[in-house]
Amino acid sequence: MKSTGTNNLSHAVKKPDTDAVLSVRDLTVSFFTNGKQVPVVRAIDLDVFANEVHCIVGESGSGKSVTSLAVTGLLPVTATVSGSIRLNGIEVNKADDETLRNMRGRDVGFIFQDPATTLNPVMRVGRQITEGQVVHGLLAASDAPGRAAELLTEVDIADPQGRVTQYPHQFSGGMRQRAVIAMAMSGRPNLIVADEPTTALDVTVQAQVLSVLLQRQQALGSAIILITHDLGVVAEVADRVSVMYGGSIVESGTVQDIFDHPCHPYTAALLRSVPRIDAGDDRLETIPGQPPTPAELPSGCVFHPRCALGANKARCQTERPQLRGFGSGQMTACHFAEEMQPDRPAPPARAATQTRRADMKPLLEVDDIKVHFPVKKGILQRTVGWVRAVDGVSLRVHPGETVSLVGESGCGKTTFARAIMGLLDVNAGDVRFDGHSIVGLGRRAMRPVRRQMQYVFQDPYSSLNPVLSAADIVAEPMRLHGLFEDMGGDKRIAELFEMVGLSPSMMGKYPHEFSGGQKQRLGIARTLGLKPRLLILDEPVAALDVSIQAQILNLLQDIQRELDLGYLFISHNLSVVRHISDRVAVMYLGKLVEQGACDEIYENAAHPYTLSLLSAAPISNPGMRNQRARIILRGEIPNPASPPSGCRFHPRCFRATDICRAQAPELATQAGLKTTSICHHAGPLDPNEIALASQPKAEQ
Amino acid sequence: MRKSFQSATKTIRNLMTRKGVVFSVFFLGALSFLAIFADLLGFDYLTQNLIASLQPPSAEYWFGTDELGRDILSRVVYGTRTSLVTSAGAVTIAALLGVPIGLIAGFFGGWRDAVLMRVVDVMLALPAILFAMALIAILGKGQMAAMIAVGITGTPSFARITRAQVLSLRNRDFVTAVEAFGGSATYAMFRTILPNSWSPIVVQAIVLASVAILLEAALSFLGMGVAPPTPSWGEMLRTGKSYLYEAPYYAVLPGIILTLTILSFDTIGRAMTDLLEGRHDLGDHTSKDAEPTK
Amino acid sequence: MISYLIRRILQLVPVLLVASIAIWAMLYAVPGGPVAMIVGQDASQEQIDAATRELGLDRPLVVQYGDWVANAVTGDLGKSIFSKEPVVKLIGQRLPATIQLAVFSLLIALVIGIPIAIISALNPGTWIDRVLSSWSALALAVPTFWLGILLVLLFAVELRWLPSASRYVPFWSAPLDAMRNTFLPALTLGVYVSGILARFLRASLVGELRADYVRTARSKGLPERQIVGGHIMRNALIPFVTIVGLMLANFLGGSVVTEVVFTYPGLGRLLVQAISTRDYPLIQGIILVIIVIFMLINLAVDMLYAYIDPRIEHS
Repeated sequence: MKSTGTNNLSHAVKKPDTDAVLSVRDLTVSFFTNGKQVPVVRAIDLDVFANEVHCIVGESGSGKSVTSLAVTGLLPVTATVSGSIRLNGIEVNKADDETLRNMRGRDVGFIFQDPATTLNPVMRVGRQITEGQVVHGLLAASDAPGRAAELLTEVDIADPQGRVTQYPHQFSGGMRQRAVIAMAMSGRPNLIVADEPTTALDVTVQAQVLSVLLQRQQALGSAIILITHDLGVVAEVADRVSVMYGGSIVESGTVQDIFDHPCHPYTAALLRSVPRIDAGDDRLETIPGQPPTPAELPSGCVFHPRCALGANKARCQTERPQLRGFGSGQMTACHFAEEMQPDRPAPPARAATQTRRADMKPLLEVDDIKVHFPVKKGILQRTVGWVRAVDGVSLRVHPGETVSLVGESGCGKTTFARAIMGLLDVNAGDVRFDGHSIVGLGRRAMRPVRRQMQYVFQDPYSSLNPVLSAADIVAEPMRLHGLFEDMGGDKRIAELFEMVGLSPSMMGKYPHEFSGGQKQRLGIARTLGLKPRLLILDEPVAALDVSIQAQILNLLQDIQRELDLGYLFISHNLSVVRHISDRVAVMYLGKLVEQGACDEIYENAAHPYTLSLLSAAPISNPGMRNQRARIILRGEIPNPASPPSGCRFHPRCFRATDICRAQAPELATQAGLKTTSICHHAGPLDPNEIALASQPKAEQ
Repeated sequence: MRKSFQSATKTIRNLMTRKGVVFSVFFLGALSFLAIFADLLGFDYLTQNLIASLQPPSAEYWFGTDELGRDILSRVVYGTRTSLVTSAGAVTIAALLGVPIGLIAGFFGGWRDAVLMRVVDVMLALPAILFAMALIAILGKGQMAAMIAVGITGTPSFARITRAQVLSLRNRDFVTAVEAFGGSATYAMFRTILPNSWSPIVVQAIVLASVAILLEAALSFLGMGVAPPTPSWGEMLRTGKSYLYEAPYYAVLPGIILTLTILSFDTIGRAMTDLLEGRHDLGDHTSKDAEPTK
Repeated sequence: MISYLIRRILQLVPVLLVASIAIWAMLYAVPGGPVAMIVGQDASQEQIDAATRELGLDRPLVVQYGDWVANAVTGDLGKSIFSKEPVVKLIGQRLPATIQLAVFSLLIALVIGIPIAIISALNPGTWIDRVLSSWSALALAVPTFWLGILLVLLFAVELRWLPSASRYVPFWSAPLDAMRNTFLPALTLGVYVSGILARFLRASLVGELRADYVRTARSKGLPERQIVGGHIMRNALIPFVTIVGLMLANFLGGSVVTEVVFTYPGLGRLLVQAISTRDYPLIQGIILVIIVIFMLINLAVDMLYAYIDPRIEHS
């Protein structure tokens, strides 16, 4: 397993690797699990230089997080590490604990994924930010509070003096992550390791945090290793990219090269399987199968079982390819990289937006529904207010049509979906299914409706009953309605399995024996048993790996075409929504702020929130990075228990005027606009506005 | 059903890799064997032999004799019977009362939850032994009274554990799914939530078994448990305490058996809790990376 | 904070209500009811009728209960049937002994339990962890009455260092003598509770050691000592406070068996006596007092918890 990387690297990278802040050679990490050594990272080489953002991108189980921990010796003692890691001239793998400790916080800073757990909940934020510096003797304890406030100012946190003495739970998610950035940067380290730093955040907050991170990096000239699974984030921030798969780096190069002409079949396939926000594709290309687990890696090239290029080649099955130079500056770990098709096949043109829908009778009609939850407080737990989770939303879904509801967390989209299903009480308004009102129906009266209206859950891990077999899970809804035999019994189950692409031989297995994608297929099969006419899909692909997402999205589209189903598709992912939708509705704080035909929303949006959302969403095209200016929204979604006066978006809006603060706008289709929105100042984005909107402003 | 069978055998295989658990199972097995077949094996706990009272352990009387010259080993063996029967009965009573209380409180919430949990709070506000004593004060003394008292004392723990389990499952998607398909509350409660709650309830039963044995012994020690001449461990310790100077083995040897029994149940219960909470494998860092990122 | 306090106190009301009804109803659950308690099982009908009128048992149950509660609130828990003394006085005589034993026991439990938990949590999986964890398991498995017997055998019968029966000597009147008399029962209880405390604290320390913020602290280059002392202990000790409070509450009522073993004149032994003489007013009084003490300690613990845990909003 000797790497030949050293020789190849010297002509592959711009600078000699002696300049590298971090230089990794032949790094292998394995864990002792179930009685054997399981390699999680296999002989990787990596160089990271000052002033650059190096993204390591990969799916779950690819070994990217373990790599980032190994770099500073933060792996648990159960890990076995071999190879060489040189950080600032120190050999990390041989260094003693004291050397490593001195290195951390001084030469290298860390940003972890979940800002909710990375800070100590019972220690004041200010102290946490500076205690590392105090310990290293770089900061006098008496100067610490002042320095902490200074650091918070640098990451755009308003009222830094007051915030220093607060505890983490008093910070919002985005502020916490910015505080973690301040902490990581406090020692002016020349390397920052950021492990999925924005994965837990909403898209507008992600944009804030990434911009702060890059600002600080440019100010300090540090190198950043950014671990992510999100190709959009890579395209937005990376200078160079390493793609990991099955514990190895399969390709590396500049971000432009990787996206323009990938030289490994995995990278190429991954790029093709991601839905794009900047173009509506009709059908995604998929990578068959699923990513390997570290305990069961395929022989030879780890990617060969899923590879279109190497599927039948003996060499790929037996010989593990080494990372080698390819073209100018790119590197690939593929035996047959030269045989790859250089150009991405043009996606088939999107079928003309169906016009037949509008004149049909709608399947689902929602009129101005409200779902409010009481807020109880005080000694007697009296209701002192209401969380207006859904506050007057109207929507139509026709047969065979996909209507998407997009919004950030806490906007009320899931509440809306569950209220329609009758799982939550509706306080006002009407919901009609096939022309009949279903609001407030009892369980018995609701039953025939439930047959025709089914729900697909976000998390395939928790939506399947773990003690039932797959066949019983799919049969359960039919049995509950006493229709199992009428529907065809076991034969029907086998039919459903085949319809969602599962082998009927798996009928006797239990949920834990299925992979994430397969579980979601089961979840879909279960809903189809009763021959529904409407599916409510609540983030059905959000918990899945990128390459699996494409498989499920294609399956949903196939089923819709075959059965003429109506879809109400709930998602926060703007790219997925663009790919699958006919019409799109944008939700903010319990209200639909804008709706319209899919392409109109993406190309001719008029509401400032939609415009900001689209602007904040990363685009998987590094070429676009400098061409588009971004609107960075201030603040985060306010508490729905006390929404702002007037227009709910006004405190974060770049167009807000006095009327917005005083008066709530009405839903209207304004002349010359192609969408319907509620805004006093609806209209397309003016380039001058972006400059205005993106002026850095401290958070309110 | 097959799943539960599979996972049960797997659980047992996992448990048996621990030496302490193997020893505990062996000890409890041997003890139960002796208690069940005591008559066939020729143990005699009643025959008095006043000439041979308070004899130290010997080849004839392995554990010595008591103040009436009865064989202490035989009385320990028959005491096992009292102890195991009382605690098994008590655990059954506790489970039959506690599990439905927890199910109803957790599933429906609201006023049902408030009322049931206030009652449980009151029961927990008295230390177990006091609560059992208060019940004995009403029920009178005797084995049945002890069984009922210990059973009622153990009810809150079942109610709490079941409620906690129901609450953690209540909003899981697979329960919501059943409601979305049109399943009734009864169906969700008994066909979906309960089958997923057995593991912690079984573990609780094992933990409670050791508590019940201890409580029964304590009640007998205070003279509020099984009435003489039926042998019980607590009663033997109570009498043995009067002869500490003359016959120290009288109080010591039955106490060792009692301690080992409690230790065995505790060891098994703790190993099962560890397994349940996934603490059996410390090297699980690979699986962390294998989890999907959100 | 004040409103939080008031809310917590008000939450006690339903618990007290249920408890008082249960305790009051005890009398009526006894075979023959409260009348038989006064006049005996084989009294004549006239005697029964007279007692019924005299005790006001012909009034509606709600009135009887209200009467009982009103008396209890003013500190009148009735008279002992056996000694004819007021119940409150009898309880008052025994309570200090029980409190002294509880405090001694808790100190011993903390002194043994905390170091065990810390040492074994910081060396998970090593032989020292296994030895110390076995201590906890053993401490929990040994019945207190048997441990008491063993300690008496060793220290009183064999070594003759300490008395086998413990008297109550107030600590401030004769500290040495008080310690001589309280040491064995306190050790018996303390060993048992040290097992509970050690097991609980070890589990929460091990849990905290794996928390994300510990990794963050390491990534800042903090020395291990400061990570444990400054970060982990702070988080682990917050829930530990609750369990310590619970144990203290348990000691105040739960030392019955130990008091009997050492013939220590505490509340527990008074209850055992009351039960064997079927002295129901005394039984009711003791149980009521123990429940109230338990709730007050819990309230105090909750207040302390809210004070030391910054995550609890007390506005």
